Amino acid sequence: MDYILEGILQAVALLASGNAETLSAVAATLKVSSVSMAASLVIGLPLGFWLGYHRFPGKRAVRTVVDTLLSLPTVLVGLIVYALISQRGPLGEMGLLFTLPGIALGQAILAIPVVVALTATAVESMDRQLSVTLRSLGADRRQLLLSTLWETRFGILAAAVTAYGRVMTEVGISMMVGGNIKWHTRTMTTAIALETNKGMFAMGVALGLVLLAIAFAVNISVSFLRRRAR
Amino acid sequence: MTLPASPIFRIEALEQRYAGRRVLHVPSLEIAPGAIVGLMGPNGSGKSTLLRLLGFIEAPSRGRILFKGSPAGPFDARIRSRVTLLPQDPYLMNRSVFDNVAYGLKLRGQRSDAAGRVHRALAAVGLAPARFARRPWYALSGGEAQRVALAARLALEPEVLLMDEPTASVDAESAERIRQAALAARDHWGTTLIVASHDWSWLFEVCDIVWHLYAGTVFPTGTRTFLPGPWIPGPDHRWHRPLADGQHLVVPAGTDPSAPAYIESHRLRLTRQPVTGQGRVVLKGTVLRLALIRRTGQVVVTAAVGELALTAVLEPEVLRKEGMAPGDAISVAYPPEAVAWIDAT
Repeated sequence: MDYILEGILQAVALLASGNAETLSAVAATLKVSSVSMAASLVIGLPLGFWLGYHRFPGKRAVRTVVDTLLSLPTVLVGLIVYALISQRGPLGEMGLLFTLPGIALGQAILAIPVVVALTATAVESMDRQLSVTLRSLGADRRQLLLSTLWETRFGILAAAVTAYGRVMTEVGISMMVGGNIKWHTRTMTTAIALETNKGMFAMGVALGLVLLAIAFAVNISVSFLRRRAR
Repeated sequence: MTLPASPIFRIEALEQRYAGRRVLHVPSLEIAPGAIVGLMGPNGSGKSTLLRLLGFIEAPSRGRILFKGSPAGPFDARIRSRVTLLPQDPYLMNRSVFDNVAYGLKLRGQRSDAAGRVHRALAAVGLAPARFARRPWYALSGGEAQRVALAARLALEPEVLLMDEPTASVDAESAERIRQAALAARDHWGTTLIVASHDWSWLFEVCDIVWHLYAGTVFPTGTRTFLPGPWIPGPDHRWHRPLADGQHLVVPAGTDPSAPAYIESHRLRLTRQPVTGQGRVVLKGTVLRLALIRRTGQVVVTAAVGELALTAVLEPEVLRKEGMAPGDAISVAYPPEAVAWIDAT
């Protein structure tokens, strides 16, 4: 049992001293998750609004597909993205394999269904009178979209936080597409996996603590925003 | 010389279907600018659908609506923020009263005098801006919320204001404020008002014209009384509708036992005197209410017969002679051959 306690103490020491290798993994994770989240929100919010707002034949089927994609295995996304961006793949010339943008691409694919499904649910659960009200006050199509998203901001915030949690904590895509290259594409999660394999708990625990702290900070700020908006 | 005002709305062969079922059918109808039009009729008769179509909130299944002479539809720049609908359950957005009222002005990018317009609109519905402007949306009573929603429409200084049962769920003070604010809009800006309501005093005292909607069809009010089914064949080869109190509504056999029938109101006799049959159907009823049609001086009498409320329009002298008052027991008599069927085609 001593080595676990020792690992935690070393972890605190690593963080306190600002260990460069640890901070590099933290920075890589923050960079890649910010890019993938931005992309998934830009693509997922309008799609989610569209799916939640409109009624069309086959809507239930589309919802089922999106809901299935919620549990997309990260290793499968990793495999697909790897195949796409490897030298022989259709996007091979872009040189994305073993880069942070490559990981971001995979993570965006992971996060988009989460954003779409949760946004659609939030928009669907809105009072139908909202749309009538916005339109009767003169909203055009773009203003209708933006105002509806703004009215459903708490549902969308929940969608973003859930997607962020999924992106931050995934290992499969970062490992397969990023290659876990030290100082370059090594993220917090791939670093933890590697260090644990080596039997080195300290850095793994330290990064785990950072992940928890980020999750905590995100949730605190969300509940703060929610309270302020009331 | 004054030219006759061209209609602000012109309806042509309008039809609306939901899930294949026709809910509204208006072959043709015109509304003059600045008119106050009342819509009455039971729930599900198509009032709200007509208002949503006139407000260009939804597009019709067939036909078209001309706004000031040319066809218009949802999201047309020409009608946005000029034609506005106050829905039955207005939705207030998650923001302050001020921001709710200013929302429409913000949408059309109107910065100049926005605050002044918001304050005037709030004052028009009887909400002191100093007390209410900064309130959050959830700190309002039902009547206040309805008035804020109306103020949001008034801030636009609309050409057409459509209101769907604006006073159905508010107290008397709010109802009066809403009525006055809507009339002031007509007086100040020439706003055309179209109001769906069950509130008879609203409709008959305020409106220039009242239309009766029944089963998706528009009728001029006062000329027809509706006799709703369902009908069952009777022993006399006529169709009957048994009422809860054991009386029977009797009509000539038709084609659709679920269709409503109607009778020209002047063929319906309402009287406190005993009436003998002589081939007529005679029913016992109770006077529920009297409402004055301000424009013509006639009186709309509503009588409870069984579970139905039948209406008839009486000339003022007839009413004076009869001395009718709510609560009076009366006879309702009509010759069954005067009953006709609503054309379902």
